[in-house]
Amino acid sequence: MTGSHVPFRAQGEGELDAEVDFVVVGSGAGGATAAVTLARSGASVAIVEAGAWRDPEDYPLTAYGGMRDLMDDWGSLVTVGRAFWPIVQARTMGGTTVINSAICVRTPDDIFAQWDSVHGISGLRDRVREAQDWIEKDLTVEEVPVTSRGRSNLLAKQGGDRLSWPSSHYMRRYTKGCEGAGQCLQGCGKRRKQSTNLNYVPETLARGGLIVSSAPVQRILSEGSRAVGVTGRFSHPTTRAEGTRFRVRARKAVVVAASVTHSPVLLMRSGVKSPALGKYFRAHPGTGVFGCYDDPVDMNIGATQGWASTAFRDTPGLKLETLAIPPELVASRFAGGGTELMQRLSEYRHVAMWCHAVRAESTGTIRQSLFGGRPVVRYGLDRPDMERFRQGMVLLAKQHVAAGAKAVIPGISGMPFKLGKDEIHLLEDAPLDPQRYVAILSHLFGGCVMGKDPKTSVVDGRGRVHGWDGLVVADASVIPTNLGLNPQHTIMGLAATFAADLLD
Amino acid sequence: MTWLVRAAIVMLYPRTALLPGAEDCDLDDFLERFRRETSALMWLGVVAGAIVFHLSPLFTVFVPLPAFLLPSGLADRHANRISTTNVYLVRQLVFVLKLPAGLAWGANPEVRRRFSLAPLAADPGTWRTK
Repeated sequence: MTGSHVPFRAQGEGELDAEVDFVVVGSGAGGATAAVTLARSGASVAIVEAGAWRDPEDYPLTAYGGMRDLMDDWGSLVTVGRAFWPIVQARTMGGTTVINSAICVRTPDDIFAQWDSVHGISGLRDRVREAQDWIEKDLTVEEVPVTSRGRSNLLAKQGGDRLSWPSSHYMRRYTKGCEGAGQCLQGCGKRRKQSTNLNYVPETLARGGLIVSSAPVQRILSEGSRAVGVTGRFSHPTTRAEGTRFRVRARKAVVVAASVTHSPVLLMRSGVKSPALGKYFRAHPGTGVFGCYDDPVDMNIGATQGWASTAFRDTPGLKLETLAIPPELVASRFAGGGTELMQRLSEYRHVAMWCHAVRAESTGTIRQSLFGGRPVVRYGLDRPDMERFRQGMVLLAKQHVAAGAKAVIPGISGMPFKLGKDEIHLLEDAPLDPQRYVAILSHLFGGCVMGKDPKTSVVDGRGRVHGWDGLVVADASVIPTNLGLNPQHTIMGLAATFAADLLD
Repeated sequence: MTWLVRAAIVMLYPRTALLPGAEDCDLDDFLERFRRETSALMWLGVVAGAIVFHLSPLFTVFVPLPAFLLPSGLADRHANRISTTNVYLVRQLVFVLKLPAGLAWGANPEVRRRFSLAPLAADPGTWRTK
């Protein structure tokens, strides 16, 4: 009963016309989970993915290849605001699950309570938890194996423990026997990371599904206020040359899971009118602080991300993690140029980067650009969030010192490149101007937020777009609050729940 | 414009006693490939970064010459100062230039060897076609 995979088709080749019960746009955490949930019920499902389908043997090894082959438009999407902070998203079969660290954190109770009290969404808790149970079994969730932790993660644990942080732990991730290859960001060529291109997408195919790759959806087809399919043109995986047209019709529903930045824009292009569409964009902006150690750390040996702390999730609103980056990225991340920069880079083996993710309250908007319809994200941090941001850097610096670092590299423009362990108090008075920092937005939320009130939300508590039939959103864009935690498990739990609702 | 980009990158990542420089990293091949493979917007940003880099020595080392005509000592000082300038937009443009340069430099087998990292095989650049 195996289905079929339709890769890029050039112009002149036959157009693709297909009809299924459900069309799912996107194959990341949300899309793939929704698709497999539907496929397991016996429905015919199509996954339409903008990126190419790359298996682990196709994964790039270099950071250059990662940006070219796996990232959305070379990772060039940045926030528009006081500072230009990059937004990390993938464009490949499996979506961002291919390039993230597969960190598995269950949705905490306070989030469901907040959705209920503020957004009028009730009854999700038990159903999402039930879905998270079977997803964990499906994908295998393990603590980072002892042999794969690497020295950076060990030091982070040591630092957190010495500071008596109530939460200082090795991560639980969707991996099977992580070998600590340090290649998470380029996709795990060892097949240890359980990204959705290795499980839920092939399972959907095996259950008779249609997988369409290199196929960015341009618009949702509709008849009145009913979604009846999707259409677009294939896009060549490397040249981005436009291919032939595809149309996949949906007898029952279209599930949009194209990412926080692309889902709202797709709905806008498709004629969905909602005062909340593209609003309430939230994120986890974050940055890294390097610790400088006497002995080599070799942070690129071992799990890319293996340690975390949620001790500061509520107050001040931070998640702390390790994150190893290769020399290719440290080369531009370190400030300076010329022989000064080379001197700094010569210490690569002795530095470890740990980072924070701010549970920011600031919100932004997502709109489509006038040229090409790409997403434009307007976003900036207000003063309380910048204070959290700075406080996170102070915590990381203290953690490094507690772990034995002799100095830290905060990467703040206008401050010394390196601060000795007796100078880290200077960070407490670091400037609050976002332009002074090198930061990224890693976890994104909102743009199609769920809620009871159509004036302030785009979808209801079952992911259904207000005022539409057969149109569901099932990715992080529906999340109306900042989780303060890694969102993949929440996205998967929600997507499975929304998909199950479609089968009722 | 590629030569302008190349000259700026060589100044940003010079060869030192400690480490190989960008000029040791098949830079011409890399830039040719990068120009071909990246988006027009990204390449435009890199070229803009290189232009700013070469036209700004007057503000960093107070010499009215383009960076590519500076003697090596001044060029080195300029590379560091322009990369750390307080002017945000300029710093960002130089960062856009540093990004691909860093990708080329950091993937070089000799650089990786100095950091006790195994060399990387070539990226396959393949995907499922069936």
